[in-house]
Amino acid sequence: MSDPLIRVDQVTKVFPMGDLEVRALDRISMAIASGEYVGVMGPSGSGKTTLMDILGGLSRPSSGTYRFEGHSVEELDDRALAEIRGGRIGFIFQTFNLLPRLTAIENVELPMLYRAVPRSERRRRALDLLARVGLQERARHRPGELSGGQRQRVAIARALANRPSLILADEPTGNLDTVTGNSILDLIDELHRDGQTIVLVTHDPHVAERVERIVRLRDGTIESDQRR
Amino acid sequence: MRLHRLWALLTIAGIVWGTASVVLLVGWGVGVHQMVDTGMQKVGKNLIYLLPGRVSEDLSPADNRRELSFELEDARVLRASARHIELMSAEMQQFMYATHDGNSHLVDVRGVEPETMRLRGVSIAQGRWISPEDLSVERRIAVIGQTARERLFGEHPALGQTIGLNGQTFEVIGLLAKVGAQLSRDNSLIDEQIWIPITTARNLTGRKNLDLIVVRPPERRMNDLVKQEARRILAKRLHVSPEDEEAVQVISFIDYLSGFDAVFAAFNVFLTVLAIATLAIGGIGVMNMMLVSVNERRGEIALRLAVGARPSQVVGQFLVETLVITLIGGIAGTTLGVLACAALSLIHGDLVPTPHIIPAMVALAIATTVIVGVASGCLPAWRASAVDPAETLRAA
Repeated sequence: MSDPLIRVDQVTKVFPMGDLEVRALDRISMAIASGEYVGVMGPSGSGKTTLMDILGGLSRPSSGTYRFEGHSVEELDDRALAEIRGGRIGFIFQTFNLLPRLTAIENVELPMLYRAVPRSERRRRALDLLARVGLQERARHRPGELSGGQRQRVAIARALANRPSLILADEPTGNLDTVTGNSILDLIDELHRDGQTIVLVTHDPHVAERVERIVRLRDGTIESDQRR
Repeated sequence: MRLHRLWALLTIAGIVWGTASVVLLVGWGVGVHQMVDTGMQKVGKNLIYLLPGRVSEDLSPADNRRELSFELEDARVLRASARHIELMSAEMQQFMYATHDGNSHLVDVRGVEPETMRLRGVSIAQGRWISPEDLSVERRIAVIGQTARERLFGEHPALGQTIGLNGQTFEVIGLLAKVGAQLSRDNSLIDEQIWIPITTARNLTGRKNLDLIVVRPPERRMNDLVKQEARRILAKRLHVSPEDEEAVQVISFIDYLSGFDAVFAAFNVFLTVLAIATLAIGGIGVMNMMLVSVNERRGEIALRLAVGARPSQVVGQFLVETLVITLIGGIAGTTLGVLACAALSLIHGDLVPTPHIIPAMVALAIATTVIVGVASGCLPAWRASAVDPAETLRAA
């Protein structure tokens, strides 16, 4: 592993809770190389989501360093951070987080809009992505008119919009039934086979069987880090 | 989408209501102001009335307490010797029956002079006005008010026709233009009157004494000067003391008007407060809608940040959205207010004030709603986009 895609060093995240401080992450260090398929597991409250937020640039560590593609994220200004969030990372949320006022295709176009991709190129790529997740027929529908599985497919297409180097999926099947969830996981597996780096948070052991490396968290620290 | 559309509609409705009420209320307030002002002017804005009275007790022996009267000669002397009076006219008044073609009405008949027209501020709608020659040859002619014309002639033409006054025949040579409501207490409505040469009136009634001499100073500030001069000249003519305020009575509308000026000043303060209060209510309404909406859209803001929007782009989007909404609302509200003003102006009636639209007020109303709306839309959006998106996305 000569040049890891991401590297966290001694990352700690503390949330103030009234007079107390909750230490969600406690001096975590790890690296993920390009092309890896990593599962992050652990009981609830172990810091899985906090770690994902920091990896995705949605939250900053209280201490420690996070380097993404060699850039120290702490030192980035708004503009550079926005470029990484939108252009280099694709986030898939448990609750989909689509904008209800926009159609499926507009949701997929959103990250490209902020990267100033020309309109025709945006439209073409968004249609391709919707076709890839099997939703080309539903491009003009709003999220309210789609099933949970379809919404998560739209979210996956959105995550892929700017050809990111990293996909972060936080419990992507948490709000779906098993059959639908499996089809979503199949889709994510497929992305991995195409060479996409993926970090997947789950507490489901069956889901964990699909990944190549499992990082187990407990109380904000890494309990184990195994390659299968 | 439906929720957002409902929100936009409600916000726009709030802005429409705010701006429309500013335009309407202030416009109407100004209309009331102008109505009172023109009403005052119709009374004869800067007139001074001179009335004959009685000699005061303490200045003359009891058996000598004459009841005084003015005659035309007194008016002539006043006109000839006063240096500060701009306009003056003697008047006689008597109610008498006016008849035409079987119609008979009790009418306020005034004996007037050529200067009366300018002094009373009326104009001739049709025909001609009374000339000095009419007075010198004591012509039996009449100029009649619009209400008097209607009562006597109905729909038929009046000009050139004859009317009977106290059994004598008069030719109608002119019609006065409609004066409308006069804010006077003495029911002397010009529209109901018939005006004839004062010399003719003297013959018709068999009276020599005048009822009234009306004078006007060239400027308001010469009020006191003209009052003193007129009293001095008339007192000398009547052989009474110029100090005797009961002998020659002087009533100046300018004295009343200075009281009204204070009322107008207070009214202007009221109008300003009204405008500010209405604008503040509208502004608070807009602010409320904006704050609520941005708060509800914090999730959207966080998501946009998460997919690569810069905070400045998010704020820019809110800037455009709020600008469009407040502008639509502001322009629609102004239009509604102007239309409401126009509708109110259609109600004819002397006592319904006609609203006046003040462009500066309209501009201020729109500017206030737009500035308040945009500020209260963008500031919270700016704050929401300054926090890490994870905080908002996870809290939801």
